[in-house]
Amino acid sequence: MEKHISSQFDADLTNVSSRVLELGGLVESQTRHAVYSLAQFNMEVANQVIATEKQVNTLEVEIDAELASIIARRQPTARDLRLLMAISKITGNLERAGDEAERIARMVKQILEQGSPRNLPSSELRIASDLASGLLRKALDAFARLDVNTALVILKEDDLIDAEFNGFVRKLITYMMEDPRTISASLDLLFVAKAIERIGDHAKNIAEFVIYVVKGADVRHTALTDIEKAVK
Amino acid sequence: MPVTQPLPLKSAIQIRNLNFFYGTFKGLKNVNLDIAENKVTAFIGPSGCGKSTLLRTLNRMYSLYPGQRAEGEINFDGQNILDAKQDLNLLRARVGMVFQKPTPFPMSIYDNIAFGIRLYEKLGRADMDERVEWALTKAAIWNEVKDKLGQSGLSLSGGQQQRLCIARSVAVKPAVILLDEPTSALDPISTAKVEELVSELKKDHTVAIVTHNMQQAARVSDFTAYMYLGELVEFGQTEQIFMKPARQETEDYITGRFG
Repeated sequence: MEKHISSQFDADLTNVSSRVLELGGLVESQTRHAVYSLAQFNMEVANQVIATEKQVNTLEVEIDAELASIIARRQPTARDLRLLMAISKITGNLERAGDEAERIARMVKQILEQGSPRNLPSSELRIASDLASGLLRKALDAFARLDVNTALVILKEDDLIDAEFNGFVRKLITYMMEDPRTISASLDLLFVAKAIERIGDHAKNIAEFVIYVVKGADVRHTALTDIEKAVK
Repeated sequence: MPVTQPLPLKSAIQIRNLNFFYGTFKGLKNVNLDIAENKVTAFIGPSGCGKSTLLRTLNRMYSLYPGQRAEGEINFDGQNILDAKQDLNLLRARVGMVFQKPTPFPMSIYDNIAFGIRLYEKLGRADMDERVEWALTKAAIWNEVKDKLGQSGLSLSGGQQQRLCIARSVAVKPAVILLDEPTSALDPISTAKVEELVSELKKDHTVAIVTHNMQQAARVSDFTAYMYLGELVEFGQTEQIFMKPARQETEDYITGRFG
């Protein structure tokens, strides 16, 4: 990509992009820690995840302010405008993924406070949660390098998480039928599974915005086969 | 090859294989372009890219200067205006032009408007009054000058002078109005008023505007042509040009990466 005549404009764009990656890194570690707190039923780590939320929110607000300032001062067009639009959307998705991680941590706390967590199939969420945090990392990577191919891979892999989620729901139902005393804790786990699935969705949204920046095609709500055609 | 999106509308002017020469220097290289009727077409590009040259061919303004010549076709009103037979006075009444710097005549505001009309039409006093008011109203300056029509056009502010010139051009009811950087000498408020006026003008006229201000092109035009070194690089709907241009050169220019 050629540089702008105004080097300050380049610096502004680089700066706001790196803030997004900073936010992304924060949310990704929040997700991993939330999953860890679930696997280990670790109250301390769960509390950490909840505490990170404030930082995430602050960063989101700061990035939005920077975006507004760049738009006001530079009147960006074409790829620059698409980049700033995408950053705004990506930031929103990251913040919400962070909310989901926080939700998981709160559920872990609740399950711990109710006692006897280990009777539940929480470890079965492992595959889905690894997929979700991996997907989030890949999405950030695709954004950092504006890499359409990686973005396409993410769109495909999100389907795997959805499949894992559906399988897990079926297992939970069996559990609850066998032993109605687990219903309350099972419902908590169901919410956790839903949160993991949502994180995957946010990663997928981020991947769609990477395609928007590079190709100028808005591929939201579009079938994968049509997206592949659009980016050719 | 330039990327030109097909014009989805009726065209007022068809430019075909247009080449332009300043002596031996080729200022325009094989330009092909349609200008849509009752729409605003903007020409953008760096200094010396040929956008003003192109605009000046549309009413044969260059014919005033020896050594300048155009080859090719510019079809307007069923004839090629580059024909030697073309009546230039008639052409310039049908294709009006407003320049970068306001150029009011050193006469009263009223006569600035009436002068051009008298060249083409014989109107009685009442009809002329009506036409002058109509033209000044069209140019959104009537309310500011109605009480001082006898004052010199030169007594107005720069922004008012430019709208007076637009009124003068509108007064003879041209089909096409050419604007050559009409706001580059104006302050932001006057600029906004002229831009507002441009959107009004296209109801009755076809407008072609040359501007160095890309945001202005984005704001006022329906179609945008990007030119570079005498060539048309890309032409398409303004929204497409500013959101997702097809050519890398266009993108570099509009995003400020040119150089």
